[in-house]
Amino acid sequence: MWCLILSSALALTVSPVPQHWKNWANKGLWTLLVISLALSAVNLVGKLVSLYGERLKASQRSIDISKNIANAAIYIVAILILLDIWGAPTTAIIFFIVLAAVVVLVAFRETLPNFLAGVQLNTRGQFKVGDYIKLGTGEEGYIKEMNLTDILIESPNESTILLPNRKLMQTTVTNYGHLMKKAKEPFRFFNRVHLTELTGLKAKNLKELADVLKTAPDSIMYYHTHHFLAEHHYLTPEPANDFAVWVSDVLGDETLGEKLANIDAFEFSTLSALRERIVNVIGEHISSGQELRKAPEGREFYFMKSASVVMSTPYAARDLREFVEALRRLSLGSLYFHIFESRLRLGKVTNDFSVWMKDSLEEQELAEAIEKVNPYTYTLEGVRSQLIKLIEKRIK
Amino acid sequence: MKLSDYEPIVGKGSIEELSLLASKLSGKVIQNINSTFTGGGVAEILSRMLPLLSELGVDARWSVIKGDLAFFEVTKKLHNALHGKDEKISAQDISVFQETSRKNIKELELYGDIMFIHDPQPVALIERKKELGKEWIWRCHIDVSSPNETAWDFIKPWVIQYDTAVFSAPAFSNPLPMRQFLISPSIDPLSDKNKELSQDIIDSVLSKYGIPSDKPLIVQVSRFDYLKDPVGVIQAFKQVRRSIDCRLVLAGGIATDDPESGKVLAEVQDKAEGDRDIHVLLIPPGSDIEINALQRAATVVVQKSLKEGFGLTVSEALWKAKPVVASAVGGIPLQVKNKFTGLLSHGIEGTAYAIKQLLGNPEYAKWLGQNGREHVKHNFLITRHVKDYMVLFLTLGHSEEIVYL
Repeated sequence: MWCLILSSALALTVSPVPQHWKNWANKGLWTLLVISLALSAVNLVGKLVSLYGERLKASQRSIDISKNIANAAIYIVAILILLDIWGAPTTAIIFFIVLAAVVVLVAFRETLPNFLAGVQLNTRGQFKVGDYIKLGTGEEGYIKEMNLTDILIESPNESTILLPNRKLMQTTVTNYGHLMKKAKEPFRFFNRVHLTELTGLKAKNLKELADVLKTAPDSIMYYHTHHFLAEHHYLTPEPANDFAVWVSDVLGDETLGEKLANIDAFEFSTLSALRERIVNVIGEHISSGQELRKAPEGREFYFMKSASVVMSTPYAARDLREFVEALRRLSLGSLYFHIFESRLRLGKVTNDFSVWMKDSLEEQELAEAIEKVNPYTYTLEGVRSQLIKLIEKRIK
Repeated sequence: MKLSDYEPIVGKGSIEELSLLASKLSGKVIQNINSTFTGGGVAEILSRMLPLLSELGVDARWSVIKGDLAFFEVTKKLHNALHGKDEKISAQDISVFQETSRKNIKELELYGDIMFIHDPQPVALIERKKELGKEWIWRCHIDVSSPNETAWDFIKPWVIQYDTAVFSAPAFSNPLPMRQFLISPSIDPLSDKNKELSQDIIDSVLSKYGIPSDKPLIVQVSRFDYLKDPVGVIQAFKQVRRSIDCRLVLAGGIATDDPESGKVLAEVQDKAEGDRDIHVLLIPPGSDIEINALQRAATVVVQKSLKEGFGLTVSEALWKAKPVVASAVGGIPLQVKNKFTGLLSHGIEGTAYAIKQLLGNPEYAKWLGQNGREHVKHNFLITRHVKDYMVLFLTLGHSEEIVYL
């Protein structure tokens, strides 16, 4: 068509028709040229936008909006050129367009920076749909959609968050990359708060201590071999179990205190086995004929137990990435519940995390590695770091 | 104070935990009942805690019983006797207590879903349990580890009717038929006694009392009472000074209702006379900032009590990250884990030895002090106290040890 227009223009130049006819014909040819160029430009830009959009995995809605904006701009420019060719006054129209542009800019003053940020983000290609991102402002999750003005992410508590693109440009964003293997069932984190229950029972010497322990409920045994882990979780090293501390500090029997401190609760899969061992160690010491020391008044061993209230938290994890990110900000009460309480007090033999990884995520090796971490030799923060290290290693 | 004021201290997670617990108590009315709105430890803790509970959305209210002077004289006697003091409770006293209790049982409006009764004065209100039902808690704030038998036997028939009892230290519990819980008292990190102070304020307080900052300062803050053993502290100090030059500050008030208090002060002043390194300061009531400044100026804080209720002055010192030497009595071993958050002692020599250890090893002293502050942060601040009360309310009506909500 463009060849036809060119040859018509040449023919018109050499033809003997009157000048004013030539002028009209020239204007007609220019009109055809501008219209055809505009249509071609619309076609070309449409294809480029589609191609670019697909490469960025942008949503169809974003692609369509971009195409419409580009088409409108091309058509406006083409109309202005045509008006100029036909000698129509364009100043008023240009004024009108500028005014309209200003109105649009004011109306979309919030959207525009997000749009520009979106273009910048798309150009850099730092994120794509399916990446797990974490913002310096706290939001995190998998990218579900990337639009021109915003990004939709699905957070570990299963809510969706619409983040304006501008926010992503203004804060630190960590991209953890690809989608992970999804669990059959999400891991739901619980929190545990507790209250110490008094029993009114006390012992003033080793014999009385052993006598009560033989018949005491598991909850007493659990409390005295575990409460210090939560109460003194900030200390490195942590104090030993209550029996060892009382025997050493109050009865002044360092030898037995050491023996009791060395009983590692991690080696026992049930509280009754742990109880048996402690009672045996005390029994052997008594039968060795050593003098039974008596605790001063007010420093007797007071038997206590723990009353726990377990509540659900908003956190859930469907894969290892979500799990490790939740683990980072989990309260210590929650960590304590899943690591210690579930293993011995609830009789699950192992910690909750390993159970989920085996049963729901088929991560046998990782589950076993976590099982092997002896939580009694770390502070709670130390346990957290160890687990994060193991999971991050697996993710990589 | 607002909850958000505590967030920089205890962290966002702790405040969120409180909100979560509070949401589970929605719709419940907790009626606190004690004997006075002002004066005394119970009124002080309730006036600090109730606004926090209310901010969390927990409907906790506060009523007081009525009584005349004769009644409160009897309850004072009863209080002392439950503490173990040798008091004679006469038939007349019993009659006054029963008569006033009867009036309160009849006249006091009881509307709570949870009746939270504090201390022995209103203990008899439990007689309305049969009629009203509801959950009844007896919160014993006093040390009943070795009570006067007559006094304990007098209140016990009421105590055992409660659904739950709460004590401040393990030693205070007795074999009782109901569930008993341990809820330790707490300090408020934002109160005048514990808030951060500038060095200028600390210096001005030292200057006001004429205490030079030229030597390590050993401080004991306690009212002048034989049970706080201020004379023992002076003896321990003199043993320390044989090898390390230092000063001693004994600061406290005298109890107006204890005639022995003046005698103890006089004895302490006599022992300290002529020794320019010993400063005996009689601090008027309400001088919380001055007490705070003296604790903050200390190199080592001592609490050499012979008998102690809970001994919150220890938590106050630990909160200021001070290395503490304290006797292993009452609630002190809960606050001082020996060699982890401070040093426990059992006599004058042990106290002197521990002070010397700390003065001679400033790095170790600093480590203990920092551990002590962490220990108090996690276990003895008012936010933990609020949490414990909410957990207590949530466990009511559940006989199981693990309650899922």
